[in-house]
Amino acid sequence: MEITFDKYSLMINGKRVFIKSGAFHYFRTPGIEMTRDRFLKMKAGGYNTVDLYFNWNYHSPSQGIYDFTGIKDVRKVLEEAKKAGLYVIARPGPFINAEVNAGGLPFWLLKMEDVIPRNRVGTEYKYSAKYMEYVAEWYDQIIPIIKDFDNVILFQIENEYATDSMEEDYIRELYKMARERGITCPIFHNDAYFAGLWADCVDIYALDLYPYINPNQNWKHDSFCFDTLDNVEDIFRCAKCDSPPFIAEMQSGWFDKWDGMGYKHIREALGDEHINIMTKTALSQGVTLFNHFLTVGGTNWGDLACDEVYTSYEFTAPIDEFGVPQSNFHKAKEINYFLESFDLTCTDPIDFDFYQENIYAKMRHDNTNNCDWLFIRNMGIPQKTNEAENGIFLPNGKTIKLKSCDMKICPINLKLKACEIEFSDAEIFAKLENEYKEAVFFISDKDANIYLNDGTVISGDQQDYTNFTFEKDGKTTNIIFITKHLSDKSWFLGDRMIFNAEYVLPNGAVAVDRNTEIAYFDLQYGFAKKNCIVNEFNNRASSLEALEISDVQFCSPEIDNDFDYSNWQKIQVNGKTDAFSCNMYNEFVWYKAKIPYNLTEITLSARHLFAVYINGKEIINRNSYKLEKLQEVPETISVPLNKIILNKDINELTILVQNLGFDKGFSGDTNNPRGLVLFETTPKVPIEFYVCEKLSPERTEKYESDNPYLSKITVNFDIDIKDNVFFAKYISFEDFRCRRATIFLNGIKIGRYIKRRHVQDKFYLINEFLKPHNTLDIVVWEKDRNVKSAWGFKSDLKNVKILLGTFKIYQLFK
Amino acid sequence: MVVVPEFLIKRIYQKGSLKKLENGASVNLKNVLGPGFISGFNYVKINNTTYEAKDVKFIMNGQEYLGTEVSEENPVAFRLGQVGTLVMTGEQSVIDGINKIVIEALNPEAGVVRLSIEDEVK
Repeated sequence: MEITFDKYSLMINGKRVFIKSGAFHYFRTPGIEMTRDRFLKMKAGGYNTVDLYFNWNYHSPSQGIYDFTGIKDVRKVLEEAKKAGLYVIARPGPFINAEVNAGGLPFWLLKMEDVIPRNRVGTEYKYSAKYMEYVAEWYDQIIPIIKDFDNVILFQIENEYATDSMEEDYIRELYKMARERGITCPIFHNDAYFAGLWADCVDIYALDLYPYINPNQNWKHDSFCFDTLDNVEDIFRCAKCDSPPFIAEMQSGWFDKWDGMGYKHIREALGDEHINIMTKTALSQGVTLFNHFLTVGGTNWGDLACDEVYTSYEFTAPIDEFGVPQSNFHKAKEINYFLESFDLTCTDPIDFDFYQENIYAKMRHDNTNNCDWLFIRNMGIPQKTNEAENGIFLPNGKTIKLKSCDMKICPINLKLKACEIEFSDAEIFAKLENEYKEAVFFISDKDANIYLNDGTVISGDQQDYTNFTFEKDGKTTNIIFITKHLSDKSWFLGDRMIFNAEYVLPNGAVAVDRNTEIAYFDLQYGFAKKNCIVNEFNNRASSLEALEISDVQFCSPEIDNDFDYSNWQKIQVNGKTDAFSCNMYNEFVWYKAKIPYNLTEITLSARHLFAVYINGKEIINRNSYKLEKLQEVPETISVPLNKIILNKDINELTILVQNLGFDKGFSGDTNNPRGLVLFETTPKVPIEFYVCEKLSPERTEKYESDNPYLSKITVNFDIDIKDNVFFAKYISFEDFRCRRATIFLNGIKIGRYIKRRHVQDKFYLINEFLKPHNTLDIVVWEKDRNVKSAWGFKSDLKNVKILLGTFKIYQLFK
Repeated sequence: MVVVPEFLIKRIYQKGSLKKLENGASVNLKNVLGPGFISGFNYVKINNTTYEAKDVKFIMNGQEYLGTEVSEENPVAFRLGQVGTLVMTGEQSVIDGINKIVIEALNPEAGVVRLSIEDEVK
């Protein structure tokens, strides 16, 4: 496949193609079945490209070792993209950010001597030949896979990179390395600062745009929040005048943090309006390549997450973490279908002398369809004085009513086969056409009209399927209306439309969640209908089933006094104990040591959650995670000791540290240490630590202990897995009494529960890890003050509520 | 939090805008980075004189914002392309020739943003 470009668009084998891309994280949506499901849904939603980060850390547990097997087989991911008919934007870093652990850099790399990750300390550039050597090792592994796929149309080097002095050596060297290894498609970098950074070092200049990054603020009240986007064409032209405007990450959602507002809040705050405005404004600025970041939400299972984010990486994406299309998916679909129907790859801005307060208006001439498009937006504050809701008076004499935070694309002088639209503020959904016939679907809008150039005015206030037929010179144009409600359930397959389905796969398979009458339309036969009956699971979705607890076991023998840790890794006396120094990158790391009776105090710093036990009793249990709002809690604390605690000549010290992930490296340093970072005693005595990673149930089959601090609750449940049925299941912790828990599904860590203000209380049971018979282990780490007696606590745990829920079930009909 | 490289932050300062006032100084800032908010002023330092937030006011579109009134709860919207004047009062600090200026402000996303530049007064 030959990929070229000019200032308007990308060209694939000489043909202009509008790149409608969506970002997908294969590592957060593991397994080929789930990948296929999400890709087919993306394709059904009108996306023609998938953006893939390749996560170095996910594939490389130690230097020189790479795993591309099983769920880590990226070749299969690329094959599925190709089978789904999607082009690929390949982004192998080396740094990817994506809120993944260490920004995607492997842990082993971060501790290497002479390695300066990303050739940068803070914002100061420092070239590291050793780092480049290891980047070459990664490129040697990943590029041979990528270059085998001719549907890879773009290749990104680094991500969101900048330094104070902006030396170009690093970016130029990455470019050269990619070319030397056989990458032939255009190469770009993603500029987070929209300042033209690295434009001269790459083929196509690209940037990312996230106008909403602070969930505490209401973007609908900040009429200026799209200022950058509103001027992005100028930024592109200044940066690189001969490459097409490319938004490599265009906001379609946002991530939540540990202390965040919760995904429900973010999804409600963004609504459908945000993706609508983002995408249409980008089109108004001549953008012909966009990538909705993120289009498919995912899960931070295992140790995928950086320290900022919790298990769900729902991201309020158009296709959510469970794989269910959301309302912003339907809005994206509307725009994608419009772009599929009308080729906007070659347009130029034209002067449009218009001003009204809070109104953004931009006109473009379409060189392909030989018409103009008016892009118009109302950013007046809802429920306040917002004159535009009463009418926007255009220079052409037409008046548009536009709700707050709404945006439309209006055709001007658009020639159809049998009529010409002079102007329309009813929006086009999709068009089917052959040589003699066409059907143009409009979305009904009681305040809008279609004005034809023969003086005919068609009101947009129409019922579903209302059809206006025009004939001229043996050709036919049907203008067909569908309501917004129906448009969400309407699917464009190129040669036909399918209505009333929850979603439709590109092969025509129809998904429904209730008994439904599906309607079909094509140009040859018109409308047809078919019934889909799904009585069987009609009432099962959204119901909750209490799971019976089959077993509760205390599972932290490490804390017990007689525990044998002689085979653990020994650290030199006064040696470093952090994760890098010990080579232990798992979420949980245990430290054991002997301490004398005469200590009066210990001082320690550990990230992120930790507890200290002496002679089997908890001394302290705390969270040292730094807080947001520009404040940090002190990470180093001192704990006084006394003879009651140190009641033996030689006492046994146990420390358990939970690492919530390494810094993602966008602004902080990825190699900021984790684990036990500092440990001192008063008076100073030499301490010899032994360390081990993982919880006992992960390491061994024998883990019964006397102490109650860590307990494992086990439940078993069965799942009815059927062909042609899509389901998404979760466990609910709505009524869970404990403060912290780690969740394992069939031995695989799928979630971290930590009680907070806006806690994540639903955990996706990732389909890839589900079996007909399943075991769920929930390891609870409780504080001493919440454990009244071991016996009583065990009894309490036997009565905690674990609920199994079904988020969605769809049946697929061919 | 976003760390904005120093060379980008420096673009906010309008070169040649430093003015000597009767009992202070003023400078102009133009937002060329992107739409955002100022959620606080820590201090402005010109040569050896430090003006605390109470001695600083930010004037934009005819509206004055006292340095002590700007906070995370009460941020100032600073639009792309907008120009504001930072006025420091208290004592004279500007000298003829090269002046060293440090402005430390807060942004909800980037945290502390420190701008360190030199400007000449002839």
